[in-house]
Amino acid sequence: MDILELIQSNLLTPIILFFLFGIIAARIKSDLKIPEAISEFLPIYLLAAIGLHGGIEMRKTGFEEMLVPMLVAIGLSLLFTLNHYQILRRLGKFNIFDSYALASTYGAVGAVTFSVGLSFLKNQGVTSEGYLAAILAVLEPVAFILAIFLTNMAVSKQIRTKKQSFSGDKVSDIDMGMKETKTKLSQVLKESITGKAIVILLGSIVIGYIIGEEGFEPISIVFDDLFTGAIVIFMIEMGIIAGQRLEDIKKVGVFLTSFAIIMPTINGIIGVLVSTALGLSLGGAVMFGLLLASASFIAAPAVLRHAIPQANPSLYITSALGITFPYNIIVLLPIMFTVSTWVHGEEAIDLFNYVTRVFI
Amino acid sequence: MKLYDVKLLTITCEILAQKNVIDILKNHEITGYTSYEVDGNGEKGLRGQGIQAEKNVKVEVIMREEKLSAVIEDISRTLFPDFTIILYVSDVGVVRTEKF
Repeated sequence: MDILELIQSNLLTPIILFFLFGIIAARIKSDLKIPEAISEFLPIYLLAAIGLHGGIEMRKTGFEEMLVPMLVAIGLSLLFTLNHYQILRRLGKFNIFDSYALASTYGAVGAVTFSVGLSFLKNQGVTSEGYLAAILAVLEPVAFILAIFLTNMAVSKQIRTKKQSFSGDKVSDIDMGMKETKTKLSQVLKESITGKAIVILLGSIVIGYIIGEEGFEPISIVFDDLFTGAIVIFMIEMGIIAGQRLEDIKKVGVFLTSFAIIMPTINGIIGVLVSTALGLSLGGAVMFGLLLASASFIAAPAVLRHAIPQANPSLYITSALGITFPYNIIVLLPIMFTVSTWVHGEEAIDLFNYVTRVFI
Repeated sequence: MKLYDVKLLTITCEILAQKNVIDILKNHEITGYTSYEVDGNGEKGLRGQGIQAEKNVKVEVIMREEKLSAVIEDISRTLFPDFTIILYVSDVGVVRTEKF
């Protein structure tokens, strides 16, 4: 199928339609909203379902298979975060705090985006490797930890140079800066590992692994059949929030807007190609790409507001939620699916010819 | 009944600053406080709607006057530059002064 055709048919799926509907509802200032308890419950439900599926699949395949893709994913996530920082700092002229906050937001993963991806694949009749759920869990804190570490290093370096100009004055301040860095990092690490997203995800993976296919049977009506429906309800909420933020997008600026579209595209396609080279299936490669393309907007504010409070939260929330999320689920998913189909299909052998044909 | 004069410190801030506020109180050996979720409008626009991380809370703390200025100074120094936060102080009367 042609990319445009695929985007078109993706646009007409209930997930996307309800998302767009939510945006419209917010634009006409309707008082429509999903009750708070439900919108807090749904991410937990989605993560539980993702985890259970992952666990069941991992029971079939074992752990060895997942090790290399997981390490590669962590490596790429760190690399992308550094790359984002350089682009934002040098080309975008953002201050150091905003640069690191944005870099890690885009280096981190989005669980909601991941759920939409799974349901997109289901729609296409394609499956993906279950261990990707475990990679989702592991990737969640990685980019943040790196960004926080680097921010604190930069800050304490600044303090040190300032102190040196006062020569020998109050050395204890430097130690204080270093100490703060350490406590901040261990706090973030502890908070993200014991945070609800990772706990429910890892817990469900373990439970899925223990119960296996037969154990899943009695609860499959809740965690399998209802999955896409639950995403649809959550999409109304996401649409409303994104719709309320449309004005803020103007404040985000042209540079960040293009960054929020171009970077996920590049990261995602690199992800698809790398994971294909690692031997992931067609669907698995799409999900792997999506992990690297997605930006975090539920976990990011909670982590970054504490760790890098100097950064402006409306920048990273608006760009991740208002620009990247819709772009990822509407446009980039079909693009990555098509790319993955190319490299997995018969044309895979001709990929290099194809590339040279296009560029020459 | 005799009422004793103490101070009520009210802090309205974004929910993600709540922990910092409570930590500061703890540093000054104040463990009692009341907090609740609120919404409202201000310099940063309408707040308290949408995502969980962007809610506002109101923290109310009753304390003796001696501690007040140190607490306020700590909050202003560490939280004012980076967080959405408003604080104000009022005079209140309590019955059991030994609780504060």
